[in-house]
Amino acid sequence: MEGIRYFDVRHVTGTVTHIDIDNTRVESAGTSFVDRAIIRILGQKGWGILAIDSYTRPNGRSFEELLKRGGSLASLTSQEVTLADVPGGIIPVPALREDPGDVHLEEKQELLSGIEKGARIDGIKSTRASYIERTETVRFENSSGEEYSYSLCRSGFSIMAIAEREGDMQMGYVRKHAIQDFNLRHRQECGNVAATRAIALLDARAPRGGAMNAVLDPELAGVFAHEAVGHASEADLVQEGGSVLEGTIGRQIASPSVTIVDDPSLPEFGFEPLDAEGSRVGRTEIIRKGRVQAFLHNRETLAAVGFGHAGNARAMAGEPPQVRMSNTFIENGDSMVDELVSECRSGILLKGSRGGQVDPGRGIFQFNAEYGYLIERGEVGEMVRDVSLSGEILKTLHAISLCARDKKMHQGYCGKGGQSVPVSDGAPHVLLIDAVVGGSGTH
Amino acid sequence: MGLPMFSSSMRWWVAVELIEQILHEGAQRVDELEVYLFSGFSVSARLKRHEIHYASGANQQGLSLRVIHKGHIGTSATMNPETWNACMDAAIASASLATPQDWEGLPGPENLDPTPVNYDPDVTPDAKTAKTLLSELVEGTKSYPVEITSGSAEVARYTGTLANTSGLCYQDYESMVSVGVETIVGQSTGYEYDASWKMDIDPRIVGEKAAYLAHSSQHGKDIVSGNYDIVLSPIALAQLLGGVFLPALSGKNVHAGRSRLASLQGQQVMDRTLSLRDDPFHPRGLSSCRWDGEGTPTRIVHFVENGILREFAYDLKTAYRYGKKTTGNAVRGGHGGSPTIGTHTLTLDGREENLREGRVVHVNDVVGAHTANPLTGDFSVELSNAYVLQDGTVEFPVRKAMLSGNVFNVLMETGGISKDTRVVGSMILPEIQLKNLAIIGS
Repeated sequence: MEGIRYFDVRHVTGTVTHIDIDNTRVESAGTSFVDRAIIRILGQKGWGILAIDSYTRPNGRSFEELLKRGGSLASLTSQEVTLADVPGGIIPVPALREDPGDVHLEEKQELLSGIEKGARIDGIKSTRASYIERTETVRFENSSGEEYSYSLCRSGFSIMAIAEREGDMQMGYVRKHAIQDFNLRHRQECGNVAATRAIALLDARAPRGGAMNAVLDPELAGVFAHEAVGHASEADLVQEGGSVLEGTIGRQIASPSVTIVDDPSLPEFGFEPLDAEGSRVGRTEIIRKGRVQAFLHNRETLAAVGFGHAGNARAMAGEPPQVRMSNTFIENGDSMVDELVSECRSGILLKGSRGGQVDPGRGIFQFNAEYGYLIERGEVGEMVRDVSLSGEILKTLHAISLCARDKKMHQGYCGKGGQSVPVSDGAPHVLLIDAVVGGSGTH
Repeated sequence: MGLPMFSSSMRWWVAVELIEQILHEGAQRVDELEVYLFSGFSVSARLKRHEIHYASGANQQGLSLRVIHKGHIGTSATMNPETWNACMDAAIASASLATPQDWEGLPGPENLDPTPVNYDPDVTPDAKTAKTLLSELVEGTKSYPVEITSGSAEVARYTGTLANTSGLCYQDYESMVSVGVETIVGQSTGYEYDASWKMDIDPRIVGEKAAYLAHSSQHGKDIVSGNYDIVLSPIALAQLLGGVFLPALSGKNVHAGRSRLASLQGQQVMDRTLSLRDDPFHPRGLSSCRWDGEGTPTRIVHFVENGILREFAYDLKTAYRYGKKTTGNAVRGGHGGSPTIGTHTLTLDGREENLREGRVVHVNDVVGAHTANPLTGDFSVELSNAYVLQDGTVEFPVRKAMLSGNVFNVLMETGGISKDTRVVGSMILPEIQLKNLAIIGS
């Protein structure tokens, strides 16, 4: 069609099932229905995009009308967009271990209740358990005649327990998500883990903030990789001039013990069988032995910025694709965790994550641990709570002095540009020298 | 291109007919049924550096059903209202699983003024409007030598019809216009935005402010760790209030043992000069309304009056369960979601002072506010566009520092609030001075 260089359509249909159990009551449970499409039209310059709820693929002239509408939006743009030629193609979706769709809602509710019961021990005042299951079918087509479709199920639960003593309250929680599996079975102990931690935190003190050595557990070190490197390596930010990693290809920005990777093809929570614009997915080594190797890309940023390959375009149903991380991790090193703790000498061991945030242009990030322990004379000591870390992307990565060899992935959701997508982050235990720790205590 | 490029797919009379059909069917199957039918149309355009990268039009629609049968409450939603039958089946199945509770009925119709409170017919969702907003935004950034990284403008109209088997049927219209822009110079960044339901925002001022923030934060210096008086901008204040203080005011959290404020009604929870309200009639509120998400007439809710905790927020479900009265605080999460407890237009009043007297650290924004402990209120966040001021004059921008404290504790003593307020999402807030907070610098 005249003026239209390219188009693609990504239509997502599916169901979202949730259960919310609050202090043993089933607060709500049920299923809702999703049906959204995004149609992108590349005009002479930039994109025209249509988002349509409840989409039926029109045929013939009606479809052309739709493209024309998008084309007229595209005609208002001024940015010259070029798409790199990249391999398309879909990789197999991992087989369903157990299909959550085959399990009756009542059974799910009973299993979730069992997890919540595990948290209702002496000293616990409030418990809440929730389950979410999202089954989506994605249909993709583009003007090159490529058509793909796949279905994927992501599900997960969380249990939160609140302990109270003499007016003081603390919370503990456990969250677990899975793809292509039903993960509520044999999880009762998770309730107990959350409850026990909430009670222990009543005796924990807030540490005094300042610079100190810190050992991060795999979950927190994964969030560290995500915030400190992942976002800044997203090439849309590099292209916009909004990342401190611009112009750093080949530069040593981390200690040689650090290799950081993103890989949507891994069967983890951030898995994609192809990306949101139909490109083939694969492994990107963002940092290899401390040197910047590549950025994460879609077709447009690959053409504009280079260094790497496409395959990291991701989107929520009915939203325009953005360059996003998928499964991001720090590779294993060769140290033992004990070595990290004794090498730390005096500092802090931080565990679990309440999330983080980064300003990639300024190169400053912040992330928060759920709890931790003081390390004194190379030994793990007293428990502490509410500890944040902040740092500068181009400096802090040099501070990773040791990586253990116990890498583990954790699942979560990541927000960018108003869209939240499933991701996993991972790492082994790592030792940071002279980390900036924020805490409101005097201890 | 004065008209929307494609209008909302469902006309008013078609919507009413559909709702009547759903209510009729529902009444045969359950005690009570509530229907919320939503549609929206928005046009947005996005800048990459200083040029328009994409322009988009979005047609949104949704149907949300809630059934109540013998005290069992069930919900479901769909983006395709034509498939309402499956949605009703799902809502009924949902109810059968929920633990039953005391329930005294959905509200009936009241004689409320139907004139929309946040709808401006001049807010026209067309691409030309979005483009004009963006070019003014770009112009504004030229006030300082900085680069734009990204920016956006959006113009939207929404309509929602709420109806139930008690005979209530209210229709509401909303409009919204918003712009935002990120700037950078060297490694110094700035971000500013504005939103209104009227065509009264000035993208030039937004662009200028974003450019000023990046420009003025260059050559930052380290600040010595210690305790400082802090002035939080409305943006920074909104983040700390929204993540910690507001959830603690929800009646649901209060009764479920998840609120630190639960046992403090009638006691001091803020500085004696501060009053925190939900004012659903505030003329600038983006989500102001005369009825809430389940049709209860709204009223001003006095959460905190002169520092004393007065009220918690309730919806029907929580009120019936705990023998309270709804405060009209049901809101629909996202468009077309089920009702939950929330606020419409949160305001903070207090003693107006010159907040910049003496030596203060002015904080425009914080990084990582969502990592604050929502239960205890403990936070430690990184500062963004922070400045050390001496009697109102910038002494130096702060290069990098963390701010730590406890949201509940820091609000107990304030050096006053600013006269000017700004709209931040569903809040309208002033700047506030907080005393003696810990900064971890160098």
